[in-house]
Amino acid sequence: MVAAKKTKKTHESINNRLALVMKSGKYTLGYKTVLKSLRNSKGKLIIIANNCPPLRKSEIEYYAMLAKVGVHHYNGNNVDLGTACGKYYRVCCLSIIDPGDSDIIKSMPSDA
Amino acid sequence: MVKFLKPNKAVILLQGRFAGRKAVIVRSFDDGSRDRPYGHCLVAGISKYPAKVIRKDSSKKTAKKSRVKAFAKMVNYSHVMPTRYTLDVDLKDVVTADALQSRDKKETTGKEIKKRFEERFKTGKNRWFFSKLRF
Repeated sequence: MVAAKKTKKTHESINNRLALVMKSGKYTLGYKTVLKSLRNSKGKLIIIANNCPPLRKSEIEYYAMLAKVGVHHYNGNNVDLGTACGKYYRVCCLSIIDPGDSDIIKSMPSDA
Repeated sequence: MVKFLKPNKAVILLQGRFAGRKAVIVRSFDDGSRDRPYGHCLVAGISKYPAKVIRKDSSKKTAKKSRVKAFAKMVNYSHVMPTRYTLDVDLKDVVTADALQSRDKKETTGKEIKKRFEERFKTGKNRWFFSKLRF
């Protein structure tokens, strides 16, 4: 099975990297801005929550395929992803425009 | 990180009168313009698809069925679904921003696009583009 059970360690490391991006990098949250960032080729990595509606998920994946951008399926729902971003609202998908000090782009797409 | 809304890209219009129709990007304005402060593009699309031609159709019927009605339109990027297909038909000289200014210019542009689409359809290439999207 492909990453059936994401280990606690890798999950925490994604959260850590995401926290670093929130602090030092540029990102946008939300479906509309994610598509915008893909269209103007600013997005470098897309993260999608696991309870994202399947049509929206495939649409984002298709755009990312056209833009040759990696997509990471976050192991958690939109509530968890919002918490991981340090926000008090739900985040279904987010796009990382500039990772700042984080190495999320270099290390994540290997297992996305 | 690759720009994909480029000329010759086949797209599907999502909103407006031509929702569900396939079109090809002729010119893209990523940073918008003064009248349209958003990313948009000039597309040329099919308003009426050619009908299915069968073997026992007479040549007159085939000619009638292979007709394509075309349109040209400025459309917002968010009202467009890009696809992985491309259509390289040279429309840059005929579809321009000022061709959409007046009704008679629009008509002549439409007729010219129609001609070029029809000759491309008759060669049998780009079959996906000329088939109706079922939904």
